[in-house]
Amino acid sequence: MFDWDLSALEESWRFLLGGVGVTLGLSALTVATSLTLGIAVGVLRCYAGAWLRVPLTFYVDSMRAIPVLVVLVWMYFAFPLLTGVSAGPFWAALAALTVHVAAYVAEIVRAGIESVRPGQIRAALALGMSQPQLVMQVVLPQALVRMLPAIGSVVSVTIKDTAIAATIAVPEFMKRAETVAGQSYQPVQVYTAALVVYFLILFPTTRLIDRIHARVAHLGRS
Amino acid sequence: MNPVIEYRAVCKNYGSFVALRDVSFSVSKGEVVCLIGPSGSGKSTLLRCTNGLEQISGGAILLDGAPLPQTRAGMRAVRQRMGMVFQNFELFPHRSVFANVMMGPLTVLRMDHAAARARAEALLDKVGLADKAASMPAALSGGQQQRVAIARALAMEPAVMLFDEPTSALDPETIGEVLSVMKRLADEGMTMIVVTHEMTFARRVADRVVVFERGGVLLEQGPPRQIFDAPLMERTRDFLSHLDWSG
Amino acid sequence: MNFEWSIIWRSREALLEGTLTTVLLSVVTMTIAIAGGMLLALMRLSRWRALSASSAAFVEFFRNLPLILVVYWAFYVLPELTGWQLDAFSTGLVALSLNVSAYNAETFRAGIMSIRKGQGEAALTLGMSEVQAMWHVVLPQAVRRVVPVLASTWISLFKDTSLVSVIGVSELAHVSLEIRAQSFRVLEMLTAMAAIYWALGYPQAKLVDWINRRYGHTE
Ligand SMILES: Nc1ncnc2c1ncn2[C@@H]1O[C@H](COP(=O)(O)OP(=O)(O)OP(=O)(O)O)[C@@H](O)[C@H]1O
Ligand SMILES: [Mg+2]
Repeated sequence: MFDWDLSALEESWRFLLGGVGVTLGLSALTVATSLTLGIAVGVLRCYAGAWLRVPLTFYVDSMRAIPVLVVLVWMYFAFPLLTGVSAGPFWAALAALTVHVAAYVAEIVRAGIESVRPGQIRAALALGMSQPQLVMQVVLPQALVRMLPAIGSVVSVTIKDTAIAATIAVPEFMKRAETVAGQSYQPVQVYTAALVVYFLILFPTTRLIDRIHARVAHLGRS
Repeated sequence: MNPVIEYRAVCKNYGSFVALRDVSFSVSKGEVVCLIGPSGSGKSTLLRCTNGLEQISGGAILLDGAPLPQTRAGMRAVRQRMGMVFQNFELFPHRSVFANVMMGPLTVLRMDHAAARARAEALLDKVGLADKAASMPAALSGGQQQRVAIARALAMEPAVMLFDEPTSALDPETIGEVLSVMKRLADEGMTMIVVTHEMTFARRVADRVVVFERGGVLLEQGPPRQIFDAPLMERTRDFLSHLDWSG
Repeated sequence: MNFEWSIIWRSREALLEGTLTTVLLSVVTMTIAIAGGMLLALMRLSRWRALSASSAAFVEFFRNLPLILVVYWAFYVLPELTGWQLDAFSTGLVALSLNVSAYNAETFRAGIMSIRKGQGEAALTLGMSEVQAMWHVVLPQAVRRVVPVLASTWISLFKDTSLVSVIGVSELAHVSLEIRAQSFRVLEMLTAMAAIYWALGYPQAKLVDWINRRYGHTE
């Protein structure tokens, strides 16, 4: 029978909790930057001229093909060699995760925009709206409501992806759990605790987003 | 009197498919023209071309004697002078009834909020839905939604109203409320082009009925009494005899 | 700065082996996870509460965990708790399979649920048995909905195999990172790694789009 000696957790819980803070902070920043960039890319992919659409599509599809670990490692180790700019693991992680998650957001936005019924666009045109007006006032608001469940998954995907930033030594929760597990020789307790903590963060997040969506779904139904 | 809208040999092709073939007729100020004809005969296409939602392939559509502009900005200006009501209402589901009606004046006409509000209130009152102003579209019956859509179009104070089968998606009980709003509008002198399968409405309200047939051809036109009681064309009689005259 | 791109050519055999391991890991994981997901979905839809609840718990649990943590957990904790001594490849396989099975279970369940009840009932009124109705009417329709989702799960899986590099499975990411560490050709090797993933993944992403156009959005 395994001996559940919890001394490592008792000693290091503050350190680990600080890691949870870093995880949540990095996640929040990443979600904010990715939504901004991703919505812009998604909208431009639908409405810009081909000279912009083609490279944006290439960017999005490339990010669908390259693992986030690879982007992280490249951004942290290779990017500074190429440019001479080096900003530390946290910012490298923010940049890499943003580049990756924004592409995912852009796909969601595009699908949302394409799902708005053509009749809605005709109705907006019939009122005399200009293209930017109808995008901002009719298409995007409906698309965003429909995208909410998918945007919710962006939040949980981001939180999960920040754990991969442990590989470039961002002192977030995963990294700290790894450190404590290694130093204390109690990997079973520490990793199991980490499992529970991540689940306790992620499960309510997904549930909350489902709730919100159920409440606003009618706003996107046309 | 000069026509408000004049169609001169209008043609519309989708690739090799001909949706409208040499359609010519005109609509005078204050006139109510009903378009009838079998499914696929190009009635909706004609309305969409009128509103610049589709480009015509040949001929001309004149608004107050001037051909429809080809530029985007010009077309927007034209659309502001025409109201359009769709079969599926197409209310904006993310905005309240009130906000739907105010949207045109606020965003397109850049009217100030108080004036837009006053206009929206008056229009909702007119279509009998003042008490639903704060509701979301999804909470309304089909007939109510369509009346809001009419109010939304009227909020632009259009010179012409285009209706594309405004009652086809409605339950029988709510068709009447929409038709009576339309009738009142006609009585007030609004110029209207109405695609409809409601023959009773066409007979009572229309000044003129235009009959289309398959292939986008204008078959005949005339006052309702002539079209319904003594059509010149055999095929008009055929078409009418297959319709349901209830309601 | 001087770069030495020839390192990539000189490492071609190791990179090729790593790539093959990545492909193998993806294929085996998907095979296991299709079976696992199917089983979990059927458990979830079963009338027995205990079965459906435990399936739901499993699925929710693994969908709400970072895969990299599951990988570590499988590597450090699983042997302690179970006494199994697995090699790195098998450990990675276990972690990936747990994760992907959970996602596939949701995919299958949603596919089956999305078929209107009337369809099954119509089949039953024709005198079909429940199994026949499932097999001849519900499943064929569900497949059309499931295939596009499985295809995008496949892409995610293909990328996620890179995470088992942290426990030393010598797939593409691990091999590239090792060569980088030994040769100090950091930029070259990391760029090569990204390029290889891109070259493999990009056509797959396009293929998924094609499958989506083909099967998606019908009714
Ligand atoms: N965008 C399009 N591309 C190709 N063909 C089209 C398009 N829009 C309409 N059509 C075709 O043009 C013809 C006329 O269509 P239209 O919608 O104007 O008919 P309608 O008279 O309004 O019929 P209904 O009573 O069914 O509404 C139809 O055969 C239709 O299939
Ligand atoms: Mg029509």
